[in-house]
Amino acid sequence: MDIFLQQLINGLTVGSLYALVALGYTMVYGVMKLINFAHGDLVALSAFAGLTIYVEIFGEGKNSLFVVLSVFVITALIIAFVGVLLERLAYRPLRTAPRLSAVVSALGASLVIQNSIMLIWGPNMKIFPSNLFPSTIWTLHGVVFTFTQVMIMGISALLMVGLYIFINKTKMGTAIRATAIDQDAAKLMGINVNRVIMTIFIIGSALGAVAGLFIGINYRGITFDMGWMYGLNAFVAAIMGGIGNIPGAMLGGILLGLFNAMISGYISSEWAETFTFVLLVVILIFRPTGILGETIAEKV
Amino acid sequence: MRQSYKIAIVFLIVMGFFPLFSNSSWLAVGTTFLIYSVVAFSQDIILGRAGAFQMGHALFFGLGAYATAILNVHFGVPIIYTFIPAILIPLIMAIVLAGPIIHLKGDYLLVATIGFNIIFIQVIQNDVFGLTGGPNGIFGIDVVRIFGVEFMSQTAIYYMSFILLTLTLLIMRNLDASKYGRAMFYINKDDIAAQSMGINVRYYKLYAFALGSAIAGAAGSMFAIQYSAVSPEAFNVVQSIMFFTIVLVGGSASLPGVLIGTFVMFVLPEIFREFATARYLVFGLAMILTMILRPRGIWPVKFGNIPNYLKKDTK
Amino acid sequence: MSDYLLEIKDVSKFFHGLVAIDDLSMKVKKGQIYGIIGPNGAGKTTLFNCITGLYTPEKGEIIWEGKKINGIAPYKIAELGILRTFQTIRLFSEMSVAENIMSGRHIKSNQKWYNGIIHTPSMKKDEKKNWLKVGELMDFFELSKYATTPAGDLSYGLQRRIEMARALAAEPKLLILDEPAAGLNENETIKLAQTIRKVRDQGVTILMIEHDMDMVMSLCEYITVINFGAKISEGEPSFVQDDPVVIEAYIGSDEDE
Repeated sequence: MDIFLQQLINGLTVGSLYALVALGYTMVYGVMKLINFAHGDLVALSAFAGLTIYVEIFGEGKNSLFVVLSVFVITALIIAFVGVLLERLAYRPLRTAPRLSAVVSALGASLVIQNSIMLIWGPNMKIFPSNLFPSTIWTLHGVVFTFTQVMIMGISALLMVGLYIFINKTKMGTAIRATAIDQDAAKLMGINVNRVIMTIFIIGSALGAVAGLFIGINYRGITFDMGWMYGLNAFVAAIMGGIGNIPGAMLGGILLGLFNAMISGYISSEWAETFTFVLLVVILIFRPTGILGETIAEKV
Repeated sequence: MRQSYKIAIVFLIVMGFFPLFSNSSWLAVGTTFLIYSVVAFSQDIILGRAGAFQMGHALFFGLGAYATAILNVHFGVPIIYTFIPAILIPLIMAIVLAGPIIHLKGDYLLVATIGFNIIFIQVIQNDVFGLTGGPNGIFGIDVVRIFGVEFMSQTAIYYMSFILLTLTLLIMRNLDASKYGRAMFYINKDDIAAQSMGINVRYYKLYAFALGSAIAGAAGSMFAIQYSAVSPEAFNVVQSIMFFTIVLVGGSASLPGVLIGTFVMFVLPEIFREFATARYLVFGLAMILTMILRPRGIWPVKFGNIPNYLKKDTK
Repeated sequence: MSDYLLEIKDVSKFFHGLVAIDDLSMKVKKGQIYGIIGPNGAGKTTLFNCITGLYTPEKGEIIWEGKKINGIAPYKIAELGILRTFQTIRLFSEMSVAENIMSGRHIKSNQKWYNGIIHTPSMKKDEKKNWLKVGELMDFFELSKYATTPAGDLSYGLQRRIEMARALAAEPKLLILDEPAAGLNENETIKLAQTIRKVRDQGVTILMIEHDMDMVMSLCEYITVINFGAKISEGEPSFVQDDPVVIEAYIGSDEDE
């Protein structure tokens, strides 16, 4: 029972991070029908940029609310800017091209970001300082959870609720949903599709940036190629939930995080990825468009 | 496409004489280029022709390589006999793995095939049956012997790879001019129209998977011979992404395109080895730029490959 | 065996609980030119999609030569001899005209799985026979000079002809045409009517949706009128034309023809 509860906490933590990253994949996919392979690398870039901002601007050791908040906001702004730049340079010129061309462009962008990180920060692992968040630990019935974990779950939940409200209650949110259903029709209704896409890249990248910082703070060791692993898991989570579907990405992220934690706790972490993909294939065999994905009959 | 046959012949002649003008280290690069071209063509059958988003092709390349390595090193089977299982095992695995998911729409299939590749790597890395040698792989693969003659020089291996590529090109030509090859194009371009013409989409996609994987397996076997060793990183998802990219950068279903793609993605990085750290950055930029300037690849396919007796008064 | 080639019995099809086809029945005789008319959105194309297996109706039976065929995969329906064209033209647009028509020969070709890898003499014969048939069809539809042109580069009228040639290449028993005259000019329409008659005279039964009333009334031997997914009238053109229910449906709806 202890293992179960402990892994539940760990799973929810990782799951929240997957969900944050998965949202970036799913929003871009929903509107552009493109797998943004560079998204995971933006997450990695965020961890490195955040570390530099913290150490260089504020100085190691400072951990007032103001400093922490500033690091998050500045990093999120930078990553959002890079995300918008990415869309402008690598994806917008290919909007009318065959779908796979944009996929290759995304793969190229992933290489560019990953290797830029390596050239700037070097190929070796960088370590996040331990005192950005208080190192408070609570123990409840033998289950340990840290301040950082609580923050990750809490803030992720807040951001997701915020996003849900934004998408469903605001004018821009409506425009995003309309564009996702039919881009041409949206254009005819006077929706500025370029602005919708820019908004999506800003939100998706900023959420990914928050996840990247959390990854640094929680796991501390960051590497230039870590975006690939987180990106892939988050992408799988988005597919499980039904790609293009925002609640689906949240559900998929949490589900995959819990599943991974349980496999690691009860079976073996050596086989984590194998189990992840077996789960994915089983889900896809029974639900070809993911758990919450809708099967829309193709119009003939 | 007639023109592409001429290009293929010129290419084969050039590659046939290449060893005469090359030192042994370039000959090794040349051999690997031939082997990777074969894999790229096999990827093209699935991705470029049948239009199935296969992003785990290194799995089948690896299955062929490991089949040869395991049978030879652990069971003492002569290399020449390992060719057959190195072709059949990937073929069967392709049908078993792709069968249940072949109906998935584009990107869902893509991520499922990435998954198969990752599972394969974990299986060989964790050395499940004590046969795969874990992360280190398998060393000491024998040389090819036929009737007591040893084919161990780099030149001999080069020409074996050359024969394999020639056979692959012949298969591609035959495929193009057959019901099977055309059916792949039809389902790729419009699967609903294809079904309405009586084409069983599932069957032809699986056929493409089986054929492509069998050819990749043969290339894997040759790869094991060339390096006399196999290890997991030669067959991971990064390699799969490379094969995927080769086809699209070069030009889907285009014979010269796939060759150019292999050259650009494989030989160029070898040439620019000195710029080790920055080269993948440049590479990524080049991928983006190529797609923006040539969305259908550097040398896009040209259709209209029909018998001459039908070209009566074409304009 | 009944003298009906195709029978639709009480077929219903729903989308998200909304009825698209409502308890529809009709019978197509061998050798007939059969027309289906009705305002836009009446469910005509949905009916065609049910017959050709792209949709499975929730209720009712589709009977082909005495056997039930609903729920069968589209490619098997084509093998039975039911071929179609599409309202929104669906050609393999990057491929040449000849290659497009060759797709219709797919079910008539007897190549084996290994012929994709190795060519045999019998396979080459099969290949030649099928290409020659494509040549014949290109002559018949006056497409020969575009043999190697990508289908997508050609005009609307030509594309409609390619679609018909492609379907006929499969030597169908029933040819289903979904608005074959849409987008054609007057001359092209007259020519199309002649072509359809010629095709029927070769023994192919025709089932068509068309909005061009002049063409339908002069060409079709029997007509079913659909509105809101249900049959509101049927009979010979002269009868349907004067049926008050039909006039009401057309005037009542604000669709132009």
